[in-house]
Amino acid sequence: MTAVTAALVAVGGAAACGTLRAAWKARAARRPWLMMAGWTLAAALLAAAVVLEGGAPGTFLALAVLPVGALALVASGLKLRDPRARPPREVALAPSDRASKAWRGGLRVLLAGPIGAVAAMGLALAFVVWTPGAPQTRMVLGGMLVPLLWGGAMAWTLADDRILRATAVLVGVAVVTFAASALRGFSV
Amino acid sequence: MSRPIWPSVPSGFVRAVLAGHSALGLAFAALIFLVCFSGTAAVFIHEATRWERAGDPVVHTVTPAALQRGFEEGLKATPDADRVVLNLPSDDLPRYVMSTWVKDDSRMWVMDADGRPVARLVEPWTDFVQDLHIYLHLPHTWGLFVVGMVGVALLSSLVSGLLAHPRVFRDAFHLRWGGSKRLQEADLHNRIGVWALPFHVTLSLTGALLGLSTVIVGVLAMVVFKGDTGKAYALFATPEPPASTAPAAPANLAAISAALAARLPDARTTFVFVEDPRLAQQHISFGVETPGRLSRVIYSYDHTGALLGGTGYGDRNLGEGLFSAIGPVHFGWFGGWASKIAYGLLGVGLCVVTSSGVAIWLARRRARGQPAPRWERIWTAAVWSQPVAYGATMLGVVAANLPTVPVWGATTLAALATAAALGPAAISRVLRAAAAATLLAAGVAHVTVWRGQPVDPAAWGMDVALVALAVGLLTPETWRFFARPAPAPRLDDGRAIPGE
Repeated sequence: MTAVTAALVAVGGAAACGTLRAAWKARAARRPWLMMAGWTLAAALLAAAVVLEGGAPGTFLALAVLPVGALALVASGLKLRDPRARPPREVALAPSDRASKAWRGGLRVLLAGPIGAVAAMGLALAFVVWTPGAPQTRMVLGGMLVPLLWGGAMAWTLADDRILRATAVLVGVAVVTFAASALRGFSV
Repeated sequence: MSRPIWPSVPSGFVRAVLAGHSALGLAFAALIFLVCFSGTAAVFIHEATRWERAGDPVVHTVTPAALQRGFEEGLKATPDADRVVLNLPSDDLPRYVMSTWVKDDSRMWVMDADGRPVARLVEPWTDFVQDLHIYLHLPHTWGLFVVGMVGVALLSSLVSGLLAHPRVFRDAFHLRWGGSKRLQEADLHNRIGVWALPFHVTLSLTGALLGLSTVIVGVLAMVVFKGDTGKAYALFATPEPPASTAPAAPANLAAISAALAARLPDARTTFVFVEDPRLAQQHISFGVETPGRLSRVIYSYDHTGALLGGTGYGDRNLGEGLFSAIGPVHFGWFGGWASKIAYGLLGVGLCVVTSSGVAIWLARRRARGQPAPRWERIWTAAVWSQPVAYGATMLGVVAANLPTVPVWGATTLAALATAAALGPAAISRVLRAAAAATLLAAGVAHVTVWRGQPVDPAAWGMDVALVALAVGLLTPETWRFFARPAPAPRLDDGRAIPGE
């Protein structure tokens, strides 16, 4: 049964992707309709997987199989470039060149690593102790927040040139959230 | 062409995020690649076990009587055991395994369908892949943390990758091969990155959470439980029987199993865990899964067989359900072959995204007149070293029972050494050929060793898969067969697409 569901979602995923590709190529008047059709088909496939396989298994099966169908469709349009032809006009932007001072590099590593981690844990901890609900739910959701927030902090601090501002924000967040959590305590 | 719906993003912002994306990717690329490669192999770890232990009895169901017998055999083999664990067969791993523990020392046996031990269980290749993926073969606490941090870096890269590529949706259907190396790698990197994004986010988030769980629980316990991590874990534990060191007869698992089957006819018991099997505080846990549910539940009983309670499905709260579903979601062990194949393909895709990310950076340097030829060679060797090293460890195990980690380390170093002598294209060719040779040799050696003996048919399937992988590695030109020459893409009305 699962194999049939997966096959349906994979083929449907390719069809949804094909519809979106048609939208990408289409005239302005038809574009919104095709885009809507593509995304509606993808949503319908997700719903079908949930109905056929159960809520959580169906959702995660669709999240894994839909991309396979879509990528198969994209791969079917693989085009070979002529190596002798002039390369197309460069449209991608290049990374910014930063002034390379050792202290800025070191601070950036600290911000993306331990300081970002501590700030993320502080926020997650504050979520766990301050939000209502079952303690298990608060702990698991708080735990999921840690990698999400730390990852966000990493992306931000490695991109932001105003490195002292990032330092102030992360240190401030860590101090405030840990203090707030310690004051409140944890209720089971 | 109609106006794009994606809002325009200031170029300064894009360039800054791109710089961060590059820095993060370069810092973690090798570790991300190692974790993703081993994770892709780990999706098929049950098949690897069946290949490695091809002669073990194939057991599809364990009767209550066989369960009881397995438990008693465990106590006979290890009279002072403080824990006995019985792992029951599943569709993809039809094996009955019993293990006993005395403090941190454990021994494992493969059982037959009647619950009799057949042989001690040693599965070096399976253990090698799992330990590489979960701990990177480092001391466990450190290894788990490093792998968790790799998960965070991957998650962060996904965020910055989206922000750094404002054209990523506009170009979502381009896949071009040949010509400019940078554009070729960028197409591959961005297409897989954007279409498989939901899967990559799921994988990196659950992986990071699994890796960092010890640290997260430790910090939480430090602040709110005065450092007692046991109190944090206790929130997710099943109820325990009252403490008593008085002697007691080992529990009647057959009766508990029969009662559980009568109560939950659709459920399948995945494991039985017995703590303190000779004491009155004996704590029996039955791990159970049910069709249509991702989360697993654990029911606990005392030594008389009285049900103490259960945890896991999320019926009581969302947190328990999420907690017990993280593992199956991360490894793709929930949808049979369908989810395994999808996870395998997208896992390879994530390896390609990682590999091409570094290749883009190197190609951009070359295009700007600042080539880094040494790093081009090293990165090519690093990427192709892993298929060779995995093939060599498989061959070493099946042909000569060689230790896995030294073989993996030595093969990886040997592959990296090719960077000193060859150019990137030659390194790729040589290491692909070496990988194909080792995989093929592992398959042939396996067939030679097990020929004429009763063997789990899945093991032959793995041998076929190894041969297919070897053939695939030798024929990258297959791509060209499927590719068609590229006429300039056009809009429906025949106008050229700007930028083409």
